[in-house]
Amino acid sequence: MKKAIIQGAIIILLFLGTWFILTKINWVKVFKVQKITYTTEEKLGELFWEVFQKTEKENRSPYAVNTVDSIVTRICNANNIDRKLLKVHILIKDDINAFALPNEHLIVYSGLIINSDNQEELSGVICHEIAHIMLNHVMKKLVKEIGLSVLISMTTGNGSAEIIKETAKMLSSTAFDRSIEKEADIKAVDYLIKAKINPEPFADFLFKLSDNENEATNYLTWVSTHPDSKERAEYIIEYSKDRKSEYKAIITTETWDKLKELLKE
Amino acid sequence: MINVKQLNYKPGEHEAETASNSYLMSLIAIIVGLPLPIINLIATLIFYLGNRKGTYFVRWHCTQALLSQLSMLFINSFGFWWTISITFTDENISSNYIAYIIAAIIFNITEFIATIYTAIKTRKGIHVEWWFYGNLTTLICKSDL
Repeated sequence: MKKAIIQGAIIILLFLGTWFILTKINWVKVFKVQKITYTTEEKLGELFWEVFQKTEKENRSPYAVNTVDSIVTRICNANNIDRKLLKVHILIKDDINAFALPNEHLIVYSGLIINSDNQEELSGVICHEIAHIMLNHVMKKLVKEIGLSVLISMTTGNGSAEIIKETAKMLSSTAFDRSIEKEADIKAVDYLIKAKINPEPFADFLFKLSDNENEATNYLTWVSTHPDSKERAEYIIEYSKDRKSEYKAIITTETWDKLKELLKE
Repeated sequence: MINVKQLNYKPGEHEAETASNSYLMSLIAIIVGLPLPIINLIATLIFYLGNRKGTYFVRWHCTQALLSQLSMLFINSFGFWWTISITFTDENISSNYIAYIIAAIIFNITEFIATIYTAIKTRKGIHVEWWFYGNLTTLICKSDL
């Protein structure tokens, strides 16, 4: 009996020992795992962005770009995020939507800015999308939904234009899993508080848009694709409740109003 | 690691065939069960249950085959669920994961070779005891001689 126990223990130790010795080798580097993922992501980002560039019109007016840039820059600086990584685009479209594409592309529809009551609401949605980018949710979703092999074939020029278009559309119009959305919401609240932006309007925004009476219901892509808005608003309030700090506006009310006017034109 | 031992009786032709089949069972099941590690175990378990009233030689080898599959089940299941969590959750491929999979493959190949070797030997009526598994099997299998 004793002999069998000792021999069993030796086998277990032998396995753990083999594993331990093998962990001393940097396999990720040997198999170039990160590198493959990075170049794939870079190429995919460009492919999907091209789809939107062709089908939608981008607002490049310096006033709009600079104003949104001020908000993004404050969030990035306060949270040690490299601002140069993010590529922010404002697309002229009535839909209330914002989404992230691979390779750190952040797309904001003008409809979202027009329908936000204040800059904090917009900042909340931007923070949520930055959280998706920083937590690498976009690539994970793509790998899960369509598989790594299809993604790689897209980047090597073997993917059909139709599939690329459909995938880009999927990224703009479907939400992530509930747990991933929650993770992004919580991270967004962290970003907001660190950037001295009140997170409450972000929760209000979700409450407001989950209300079916709202006139903007027809264009509610961002909320309709993100389920249980009321529940989300509640845990955002709950999470930020005890973390009150002094909040500072990023842009003046006049600038904000002017931005909305400009986008309405 | 593998010892050939002399039993105090000579197993008959039918006994040798059934004992050898218990190892072959796990090999065949590997083909079906590669993605799902539990299939190998179920196959050997069914074979074990079917032969537990057989002669000592048959029972002994069915038990050894079952025990070896059982330990592989732990190693493979852990690797299987780790892979699933990488595919479907936020887990990333790490050096630890790749090292584990390589270690698991090494152990699986070793077990695979030992199983083929033992299947051939037992078919000839030769009693083969594995290191650790042999002792454990002797503890479990009561001799009816």
